[in-house]
Amino acid sequence: MSLVAEAFMNQLAAAEPWPENAALYQQLKEDQILLSDNAASLAVQAFLQMCNLPVRVVCRANAEYMSPSGKVPFIHVGNQVVSELGPIVQFVKAKGHSLSDGLDEVQKAEMKAYMELVNNMLLTAELYLQWCDDVTVEEITHPRYGSPYPWPLNRILSYQKQWEIRRKMKAIGWAGKSLEQVLEDVDQCCQALSQRLGTQPYFFNKQPTELDALVFGHLFTILTTQLITDELSEKVKNYGNLTAFCRRIEQQYFEGHDKDGSAAASARSAKRSESDPDLNKIWSQIFTPECFCLAACQMPSSCKCVTHLGVQLVELMR
Amino acid sequence: MGTVHARSLEPLPASGPDFGALGEEAELVEVEPEAKQEILENKDVVVQHVHFDGLGRTRDDIIMYEIADVFKAKNLIDVMRKSHEAREKLLRLGIFRQVEVLIDTCQGDDALPNGLDVTFEVTELRRLTGSYNTMVGNNEGSMVLGLKFPNLLGRAEKVTFQFSYGTKETSYGLSFFKPQPGNFERNFSVNLYKVTGQFPWSSLRETDRGISTEFNFPIWKTNHTLKWEGVWRELGCLARTASFSVREESGHSLKSSISHAMVIDSRNSSILPKRGALLKINQELAGYTGGDVSFLKEDFEFQLNKQLLWDSVFSASLWGGMLVPIGDKPSSIADRFYLGGPTSVRGFSMYSIGPQSDGDYLGGEAYWAGGFGDLFRTHFFLNAGNLCNLNYGDGPKAHLQKLAEYIRWSYGAGIVLRLGNIARLELNYCFPMGVQSGDRICDGVQFGAGIRFL
Repeated sequence: MSLVAEAFMNQLAAAEPWPENAALYQQLKEDQILLSDNAASLAVQAFLQMCNLPVRVVCRANAEYMSPSGKVPFIHVGNQVVSELGPIVQFVKAKGHSLSDGLDEVQKAEMKAYMELVNNMLLTAELYLQWCDDVTVEEITHPRYGSPYPWPLNRILSYQKQWEIRRKMKAIGWAGKSLEQVLEDVDQCCQALSQRLGTQPYFFNKQPTELDALVFGHLFTILTTQLITDELSEKVKNYGNLTAFCRRIEQQYFEGHDKDGSAAASARSAKRSESDPDLNKIWSQIFTPECFCLAACQMPSSCKCVTHLGVQLVELMR
Repeated sequence: MGTVHARSLEPLPASGPDFGALGEEAELVEVEPEAKQEILENKDVVVQHVHFDGLGRTRDDIIMYEIADVFKAKNLIDVMRKSHEAREKLLRLGIFRQVEVLIDTCQGDDALPNGLDVTFEVTELRRLTGSYNTMVGNNEGSMVLGLKFPNLLGRAEKVTFQFSYGTKETSYGLSFFKPQPGNFERNFSVNLYKVTGQFPWSSLRETDRGISTEFNFPIWKTNHTLKWEGVWRELGCLARTASFSVREESGHSLKSSISHAMVIDSRNSSILPKRGALLKINQELAGYTGGDVSFLKEDFEFQLNKQLLWDSVFSASLWGGMLVPIGDKPSSIADRFYLGGPTSVRGFSMYSIGPQSDGDYLGGEAYWAGGFGDLFRTHFFLNAGNLCNLNYGDGPKAHLQKLAEYIRWSYGAGIVLRLGNIARLELNYCFPMGVQSGDRICDGVQFGAGIRFL
């Protein structure tokens, strides 16, 4: 369809109100969906919850191929099909709902920059871990990705996807990185996010924005997904305010709905896990005393932990 | 005594498995001996030797089967007839470029007074033949390379390879064919292929990568085919505006199916028949040998042609089919039947009858179509048909009722052109009737080209 026609269609769509039967499509929760896709889906779900727009989650084995851009999740609203967080935010804005209207130009630019950071660092690290780390690929990714298909299709499709992702990694220069370097990058990204968040409830103080939804989606999924090792989630757990942020958003926007719709249930079953841990147990592991090291820290002035950084910032501003 | 040459009788094509029966008007030709020579029909002869000149890599045993009958000839006309038939059989193997027959009296010490020698002078085909074409059409250009290895191992095996490289899609096919020595009608072939198709009437794009093995054998007057096929199908939307029902079918699936087909064909030509009948029954069972698609599909085609006065032909056809999904998964758009178009129910757009969603035709699980036509370069036709999805919980009476309501039909006239022995072109003026909401019609002038017409 030409650009003009597409713009016209978008105008028409913008005039219609948000329907009751809007649906969000993703892969099968229990057996198929991978870490990166689950993070993206959770981010969109969080965003729509924040905008107070009802959507039901539909799981299909072929969701990735149904999507017009090849990426999940995508939403089916009225006659329109929109995929990925960026276009969905634009689409929702055209319908008159927006979370970032109250921000000025500088803040909007900053928000975009942080969103780019998450997409370039966190998402790529997740993809690296899933598709380039041999152990994870063998034990988790291949069995999950091909689970809805019969032999030999399951092997063919997962190898095809692996080659595609590895080619992309080579193109952006991540193919030569080792796992430790990738985890370092994750750490730096989390540090930047943690510094920006500080002690505020949301990234832009009082109101959540799409950046909050995106960060929540990725961090919550990383924290509550069991992989081969816990290294990735450990990196995030180091920053207390980020874990508190995830907990806060989860409580505010996802608890109180039925089990299937809650973020915890969807993230918990996102990876093959031996047991189904209770949410309280997870949170009790995350909130370790070390996070609140103000009292216990030996060298407060050079401590890199979030709380001390916050204190140092306050000192500087005085 | 002089020599009688039984030369090649024109025009006979070099036949093999891809060509059909002999040319249209072929009838048995009687070779008349020259007036000067004695008439030898009643004279008993014995065929003592049969020689072959020009055999290279062809093995002896398959030749022996084809010419075995020549030894049984009792008189001269019989010898000529049997040699002619042997020549046909040798050409049908598809391994010789030409075959010439020489009948001579026997010379030598052990020659009987009425002994004959038959010599077949053959020229084998080259080991490798190739072809290269470019095709342009439908906003796409492509380069097609074909390679053929006839008579690969000496027993009329054939390997063909075709590769098409286009601006949009690439497809290829590799096929191995082997007949049973002595019994050319019994053969098996193994095919490996990748085919892509674009179906704008459903906004669907399909890529099939598959392997199939096929076994053909005749039983009395019928021809049977048993086939196993394993296909990896990839479906996708052709445009962003595809309806959601088609979008839901996108993705990958694996079909592993066994099928059986029976054909009885007594027509004199498959393109523009003047007499004879055709009955084709096809069934396919998928899902029991692997894959994730499970169904039973039945399909039949019946055609009757009768010559009327003034060289015109009356032709009646009936088609039908049913798809029953096994298990609780619904049927896939790639397996369903489609109806409509210049080669089936004329007057309707290509495959644009029946269930549809937002202008994309989804196909149906059961259909029937019938047609009457009167062919003589110009033709009149009357077509009818219906395509729908059945609710398999109801009984057969409900099914018949559903197929009988909402019948689409059309009538009209046009001209017919035959393209060699390969295809038929039709230009018709159609009046579609019984149009249901959702069908797309093509009333007025409609052009069609194909090989199988209703």
